[in-house]
Amino acid sequence: MTFKEYQHLYWRAGFGANPANEFWFKNNRKKTVDFLFKNSKTSTPLHIDTAFIENIDIKKLKNDPKKRRELQKQSREKIRAFNFKWIERLIYPKEILRERMTLFWANHFVCKDDNILFVKQFNNTLRTHALGDFRAFVKAISKEAAMLKYLNIKQNRKLKPNENFARELMELFTLGEGHYSEQDIKESARAFTGYNHEPVNGDFILRARHHDNGIKIFLGKSGNFNGDDIIDIILQEKQCAQFIASKVYTYFVNPKPNLEHINAMANVFYKDYNIENLMRFVFTSNWFYTKENIGAKIKSPVDYLVGMARTIPVTFERENDLIKIQKLLGQILLDPPNVAGWKGDKAWIDANTIMVRLKLASVLFNNALIDLNKTSETPNNLRAKYFKANKNKLPFKTTPNWTAFLKNFNTVKTENLHEYIVQGQLNNGTFSYLKSLNKASKQTYCIQLMSLPEYQMC
Amino acid sequence: MDRRKFLKQSSLASGLFFVPSFVKAFENIATAKLGYKRLVIIQLSGGNDGLNTIIPHNNDIYYNARPQLAINKDIIKLNDELGFHPSLKPLRPLFDNGELSIINNVGYPNPVRSHFRSMDIWHTASNANEYLQTGWLGRYLDKQGKNPYNAIETDEQLSLAMKGEHFNGIATNDYKVLYRTARDPYFKNVINHYNDAHLSEHNLGYLYQTMIEAKSSAKYIFETTKVSSSKQDYPKNNFAKQLKYVAQFINSGLETKVFYTALGGFDTHANQTNKQAQLLSEYAESVQAFVNDLKRENTFNDTLILTFSEFGRRVKQNAANGTDHGAANNVFVIGKNLKQAGFYNKLASLNNLDDNGDIKYEIDFRSVYATILNNWMDVSTDGIISSNPKTLNFI
Repeated sequence: MTFKEYQHLYWRAGFGANPANEFWFKNNRKKTVDFLFKNSKTSTPLHIDTAFIENIDIKKLKNDPKKRRELQKQSREKIRAFNFKWIERLIYPKEILRERMTLFWANHFVCKDDNILFVKQFNNTLRTHALGDFRAFVKAISKEAAMLKYLNIKQNRKLKPNENFARELMELFTLGEGHYSEQDIKESARAFTGYNHEPVNGDFILRARHHDNGIKIFLGKSGNFNGDDIIDIILQEKQCAQFIASKVYTYFVNPKPNLEHINAMANVFYKDYNIENLMRFVFTSNWFYTKENIGAKIKSPVDYLVGMARTIPVTFERENDLIKIQKLLGQILLDPPNVAGWKGDKAWIDANTIMVRLKLASVLFNNALIDLNKTSETPNNLRAKYFKANKNKLPFKTTPNWTAFLKNFNTVKTENLHEYIVQGQLNNGTFSYLKSLNKASKQTYCIQLMSLPEYQMC
Repeated sequence: MDRRKFLKQSSLASGLFFVPSFVKAFENIATAKLGYKRLVIIQLSGGNDGLNTIIPHNNDIYYNARPQLAINKDIIKLNDELGFHPSLKPLRPLFDNGELSIINNVGYPNPVRSHFRSMDIWHTASNANEYLQTGWLGRYLDKQGKNPYNAIETDEQLSLAMKGEHFNGIATNDYKVLYRTARDPYFKNVINHYNDAHLSEHNLGYLYQTMIEAKSSAKYIFETTKVSSSKQDYPKNNFAKQLKYVAQFINSGLETKVFYTALGGFDTHANQTNKQAQLLSEYAESVQAFVNDLKRENTFNDTLILTFSEFGRRVKQNAANGTDHGAANNVFVIGKNLKQAGFYNKLASLNNLDDNGDIKYEIDFRSVYATILNNWMDVSTDGIISSNPKTLNFI
């Protein structure tokens, strides 16, 4: 495994390589990949204190709209705090691959809620199953309080079925459009009737009197199916493995699908629906490391932000700034646009987001200044003046930890920094421009590199 | 060599190039014909209470359902049944001049009462059970747009409505700041040094191209916009400021087909009376100034203004002197040459509400969109609105 390959693996399976390269087993792909998986054997739930909402008396609350509003407000604030915690977790992950997979699944099983307890439970369910058995995963998702609310499963009753979840289960979560009929949706919705949750703690319950025990005819099979049965029947379809393989491929390998590789992945996945096996197959395949796949992906806003913060450790003085940045970049965690999730790839980039992206590194780390000096003499007074002029106008308050950066990149020569910062090929013309810049400061050069369109790729 | 020079020289060298220059001349006619009709969207975010906006002042059900909240003073009566909220007084001349069409009971089947999801439906023009990742104006611009500045949103971020499959509009709440940002000398150097001919063929090229377009759009907007053009006084609030910019862009002749503006705060679950009165004043006074500004410059004829909100509110007030999320609502269309000004249709019966106690929809919002696309923007709805709605008769 070359350094480039190691870097590629860690950008896709994680959030960029650590400059210390501690997880790199030189010239040994198997060892490097094994380590990646071994590191994610455990799972560390993301915690936030939700006691305020766990002990409420639901009966009392019904007649107390003021208290209800207060709880809602508290919950919303906690969700924001949970967002910061998640970002922080991505910057300093314990189980790198598991965290990457969690983020991936969060844009597959897309869900949103305003109850922090349910949000936390849902998020940790994604984490728990991220590398496990896909079958158990889908079943768990169908019973999460946040999902029961989001796709109206709890309103789905025998006498008044609601098809929302049944439809999205097939269209977005398992099979993809066109692989089932409207009748299949109607029939499977009946199987999920009566699904509900305890109002306070969110535990799944089946309300028997709302559940339809009749015979359902679904994907050519008939029986008194419940929700779990429906999921089992769906997974018998090879198309389900194919659909997930295709989604994994365009996310982890290349936004341009390659049918041959996707078919190979689907064959592996269909055997046992084990997510870890599927991912191991991808990361050990020769094709994963070919040139056309390296640096071919546009970073999502979170990839981009987390990647920067992993390179230059930074403190956000105001937590709300982090939300603002996510908003400007077009991706606020826990706040997806709809159940189809973020479209990703080119859709991340428009005239506004590209400018924010090219400017953000300098705003976060250098008071919005990207140095242009070609010779060594930066007029220090000019710089001081510029800083002063900008100091109070900056939209974000951050403190970069340059000492930590210099320590991490201690062994890297400034003129080689781009090999660590930029993934994939630099454009020749851009590269010659970079060459012309003065490299007296490693910090300055790092910001210059982060201000390139090339830095947006991974 | 630039394109014009190239065509000139090559057409001298070979008669074959007659065809491309002929095609080019043809293109020019097409853009000239299409370029000047403009659409301005005003989004009232949060779910405006349509019933207290256009008031059924002769309806007992209305007064009984809203003992504290019903408006009974200073209603601007427009006919025997319906009247403006007092705050909408500035819009009276538009109504009287036949420059305002009010479409009642606009909504969609199986209404969703979540702000977020319902707004999503209005932006993407989807069914309630369908999830699209592009907006209706974005898809229109996929067909008709060339540069990001063909669609401008007066905000920091671009709404989903303005994002197409290939085309994205540009969002700016201050075009001067946008221009300054785009002018960072470092970007200029990077772009100038970039030397790949295959710009849009791969993702990195796409990034460079977007940057180049962003830069040229920012420059185009900045340089084309005439600062001194506005002689009109506007109220002092953020919404008025957005409309003032839009008027400036329109009056300066920017080649922008769609403008997107928004006024938020309509989610009046509690103590609605004062809050809504203030918001509606902001709306009406700003729109009045905007229309006057356009009229003064003779650009009103080519501008159509659509005002909508993601849903209306419940007919019955709640215990906190507010209203909860509802369903169908009214939509305002402002412009010259309306085919049916005044009230396009009657308010739906308040006797015949849905299970939640909300007004039932009569007109699908996608019919409103389709009418604007067909009769105003002069394009077919193919590939823009999938539900194939029938068009209406207001323009």
